[in-house]
Amino acid sequence: MKRRKLDMAALPGRAAREVDDRLGVNTPLRSLLNKVFPDHWSFLLGEIALFSFIVLLLTGVYLTFFFEPSLTEVTYNGSYAPLRGAHMSAAYASTLDISFDVRGGLIVRQMHHWAALLFMAAIVVHMLRVFLTGAFRKPRELNWMIGYLLFWVGFLAGFTGYSIPDDGLSGTGLRIASAIMLSIPVIGSWITSSIFGGEFPGEIIISRFYIAHVLLIPALLVALISAHLGLVFKQKHTQWPGPGRTNSNVVGERMFPRYAIKQGGFFMIVFGVIALLGGLVQINPIWLFGPYEAAVVSAASQPDWYVMFLDGSTRLMPPWEINIPIGDGYVIPPLFWPTVVLPGILVVLPLAYPFIEARLNKDRRIHNLLQRPRDVPGRTALAAMAVTFWLVLTLSGANDVIADKFFISLNAMTWVGRIGLIILPPLAYYVTYRICLGLQQHDREVLAHGVETGIIRRLPNGKFVEVHQPLGPTDEHGHGTLEYVGWAVPKKMNRLGALGPAIRGFFFPIEKPVEAPVSPGHPPVEPRSERQEVGSGGSR
Amino acid sequence: MSTRTDAHSNQVVDNPREPFDVNDPRLSRFDLVREGARRDDIEIVHYEPQFPPGSRAERRIVRTVASIFLLVGVSATAFVAAYIWWPWRYEHGTGASKYYTPILGLTLGIALLGIGFGILIWGKKLLPKEVSIQARHDEPASEEERRLTGNTLLYMVDELGIRRRPLLGVSLLAGLAPVGAVAAAPLVGGLIQQPHKNNQMFTTGWKPITENGTTRLVRLTHHDGTPVRPEDVSPGGQITVFPGIPGGATNKYADSPVLLIHLRPDDAAAARAANERAGHADYMWGNYIAYSKICTHAGCPASLYEQQTNRLLCPCHQSQFLITDNARPIFGPASRRLPQLPLTVEDGFFAAKSDFTETVGPDFWERP
Amino acid sequence: MTSDTPGGARSRGLLSRLRRARSSPRSKARRRLGAAVRLLAALTLAGGAYTVFAPDLQAQETSQLSAAAQEGKALYDTSCVTCHGRNAQGVEGRGPSLIGVGAASVEFQVSTGRMPLARQEAQAERKPPVFTDDQIQQLAQYVQELGGGPQLPEGENLHRGGDPVEGGRLFRINCSSCHSFGGGGGALSSGKFAPSLRPATDRQIYAAMLTGPQNMPVFGDNQLRPEQKADIIAYVQEVLAKDRDPGGFNLGRLGPSTEGVAVFLIGIVALVFAALWIAGKS
Repeated sequence: MKRRKLDMAALPGRAAREVDDRLGVNTPLRSLLNKVFPDHWSFLLGEIALFSFIVLLLTGVYLTFFFEPSLTEVTYNGSYAPLRGAHMSAAYASTLDISFDVRGGLIVRQMHHWAALLFMAAIVVHMLRVFLTGAFRKPRELNWMIGYLLFWVGFLAGFTGYSIPDDGLSGTGLRIASAIMLSIPVIGSWITSSIFGGEFPGEIIISRFYIAHVLLIPALLVALISAHLGLVFKQKHTQWPGPGRTNSNVVGERMFPRYAIKQGGFFMIVFGVIALLGGLVQINPIWLFGPYEAAVVSAASQPDWYVMFLDGSTRLMPPWEINIPIGDGYVIPPLFWPTVVLPGILVVLPLAYPFIEARLNKDRRIHNLLQRPRDVPGRTALAAMAVTFWLVLTLSGANDVIADKFFISLNAMTWVGRIGLIILPPLAYYVTYRICLGLQQHDREVLAHGVETGIIRRLPNGKFVEVHQPLGPTDEHGHGTLEYVGWAVPKKMNRLGALGPAIRGFFFPIEKPVEAPVSPGHPPVEPRSERQEVGSGGSR
Repeated sequence: MSTRTDAHSNQVVDNPREPFDVNDPRLSRFDLVREGARRDDIEIVHYEPQFPPGSRAERRIVRTVASIFLLVGVSATAFVAAYIWWPWRYEHGTGASKYYTPILGLTLGIALLGIGFGILIWGKKLLPKEVSIQARHDEPASEEERRLTGNTLLYMVDELGIRRRPLLGVSLLAGLAPVGAVAAAPLVGGLIQQPHKNNQMFTTGWKPITENGTTRLVRLTHHDGTPVRPEDVSPGGQITVFPGIPGGATNKYADSPVLLIHLRPDDAAAARAANERAGHADYMWGNYIAYSKICTHAGCPASLYEQQTNRLLCPCHQSQFLITDNARPIFGPASRRLPQLPLTVEDGFFAAKSDFTETVGPDFWERP
Repeated sequence: MTSDTPGGARSRGLLSRLRRARSSPRSKARRRLGAAVRLLAALTLAGGAYTVFAPDLQAQETSQLSAAAQEGKALYDTSCVTCHGRNAQGVEGRGPSLIGVGAASVEFQVSTGRMPLARQEAQAERKPPVFTDDQIQQLAQYVQELGGGPQLPEGENLHRGGDPVEGGRLFRINCSSCHSFGGGGGALSSGKFAPSLRPATDRQIYAAMLTGPQNMPVFGDNQLRPEQKADIIAYVQEVLAKDRDPGGFNLGRLGPSTEGVAVFLIGIVALVFAALWIAGKS
């Protein structure tokens, strides 16, 4: 048989046919490639968290090759001279080895830690975006809940990771964690001794936290993240209102090619930023903390930033101890309220928020269009209130550092935090609410009267008025007839194209624009052609 | 390739389309792409290259992307070279090895950012701008559909006939409930630990040792195990001491570290008076006083001793204890005094008269 | 030198003015102290003219002092006597007695610029020293001869032969609780603080351990033997100060709080700008 010449051009087609014969993926694949995603910068915040998580998995797997999760006592004999000969746990010694005796280990360790901080930060920022724009409303309540749980699972991942090197700082954190478990009424001592395998610190906690940190929690995270993305896929992304955008369509770019390229590029950028941070900015220098010893502590002992609000709430808590005079007497320590009850409330309340809001508004419709934060002042103000609450707690978590570096009394800082925690959130609510109303009003005003042109006209009677440029057709009083549709209203003349098209190029024009104004120094004030006539602002 | 369709023709379903022949040789590849999108209810309403092909601007962008990719190559090569040849072993001081990690980070970061920006510019500038509209199709299924699905589910219940055969249901429940316990038992049973084994939450390493019928007091020792003499601590000084037992300074006795303070005479008088009021008259030895270092709030070492104000500050949550008043908490979240260790001197060395008389460490429910 | 005149104090801002207003009874003392400092500057310029002002009331005692101590006494009587009183016996409500504090204490307080005190507040702060090294030695000698007390060993380098490994262990158990693991200092109660160890010299660290200035506990030679002090100084100077951080910029070694700020200010801000660009129209 004569051997047929291999036709390179037909090869991909043939291969595709072979695959489809077996798997039948043709049509689903095409609709996947064609799926439309709306484009807005704020829709990329969640991706930061997703990409940081991928970096976490990559660097984390690398670290497991060298880390030894054991509290067995060893004598350090590695490269870091200032600790040579010190007694420490194998966990701490192997973390030192990763930092000093594994070539390139330090940068991977630092990237892992920075990626963890970035992961949590991106979750919070993304969650704020979702909350402020109302993207959690029906049908996406379930995804809101999954996303919110992701924060808390990430919190556990972060805390277990912070604890396992067994350095001075993480041991202090672990000690506080044991005290928190101990403070739970009735079962506290049982929980603590069960988790630590006896009295603190025991000998097993590092290996237990380790398996949670590298297996159980990541598995949970992967599952939740998959469900989160799957739901986004199934329910399709929300979009901002705007021309052609309705509650029943998605306007944007198809996944393939442009959207996928953007996502891939953004992943590399997130990865690159983490690499830069990991190499250039030192994080968690465990060799300075020394091994954990129960009698050793450092000033400015703080947890990572996403735990700091709990540290802050603990610092602000007044010493209110509840004694129960039954039998020998029982006690609920003051530690219980800010570290068990407060997080408990914080876990449950936001989970239920979408349903609470829908119920209050008697809103059972499906929402695929986002709301501008100003259009829902109550919710926006609530977010401002929550952020303020969190900020006061977080700053209080670092109040000793702030007191020291800004020469403020430490006790005064505590009192500022205690009072601020009560006063500032309602204040933030009020101020934000008023700002939202003001912005709303300004939108309506521009729609009614037009954009300020900066042109002052003198009327025959000597009165000066500013000329306003209406955005659309006007009625007999000169008022615009456009309705507010929930999207940005142009408020500057150059948004209307009054300056002509922008000239391309960074330092010098790369191409002469087609409609460039004759003299760039004096942009034409007259709006372009067929638009509309210049009318006065009228009533003012 | 440039195409522009009417922005309002997105109601694909409403528009009756002429039949589309995929095999028509006149069709361009884009026509096929658009037809594929249409079959997925996507209308490409705007698709336009950003630059005329071959224009100066386009060539400029191509050059930019190409040079970024070359920079990536250079940077990645630099990473590998630095990884292999740059001195990386820890050495004391400010030598070249201190720049090992920063150089790796810089080269890796530039390489990764370069890839990112390169493909982003490629995608953003060189690919046509596009606006597509896809119908969501998230209208709830019709009542009819729901009814069919619901009955499909319920049909199973009918077939199993649990209503008709109640014994099966009851026995299944009765049989399965213990199986759940089977799953939980090893986990709970393996993890659970009796917290009050050997009375461990109420005793520390300071408990006097009874051997062969004689009771021996536990000495106060330095970190290295040498016993502490009174003259080891100057007035206004403090020292962290550990029980003089094997492993006394290790984390095995995490509740045992004690702060031994030598008070100045005036402060010592005040502390002694407070001690007497509390019924601890003989806990001090001379001007020496000893308190548990473990904070009663969250267990951090409360060890920031201010020798003029006689306050002890815990660095974790800023609880402050007044040494001259039985270590009473005077600020911050702690609600309980630091336990005091009764001191004595044997053969010139400090020893603990007994274990702490109060519970050491953070509070818990059943602390009497 | 004369920055502590009322004019200088006025420029210090609202806080200090509030504090001034609140503590009017003390302002007289401060004015007098300021005058003393100004006087001192003039004296230093004039060179030797101080003898004219030196009160010769204790002429008999003066005769028992060494030459250096006599010069120190002259300095004392112009700059320190207001608060610490004649013969260093202390003035109630102004300054403690210096009997028995020793040369080490004087050297620490004066060479770090904490004394003479600019104003009464929670804690004296480090300032550029007012006196030259020789004058400090003279003052120290005077106080030493008055009442005895701890003295520093000779020499500038007090950590020669110190073992940083042992020093690190001692540092973590004795020092880091207040001065923090990186030696950057930390807050104490009610506006007091443990200062940063970065600007401190060997002699100052040694003197601080030996004498326990202000609220710092005393670490006498029985508690931390001289060789252990050398170990600690070796750790502070060789490891904390001279050993560059291997992981890049250290964010002030303030622990997780600055790391949290950095991840938002660098990481999130950079990536949000990237997102703005990616999703932008142009």
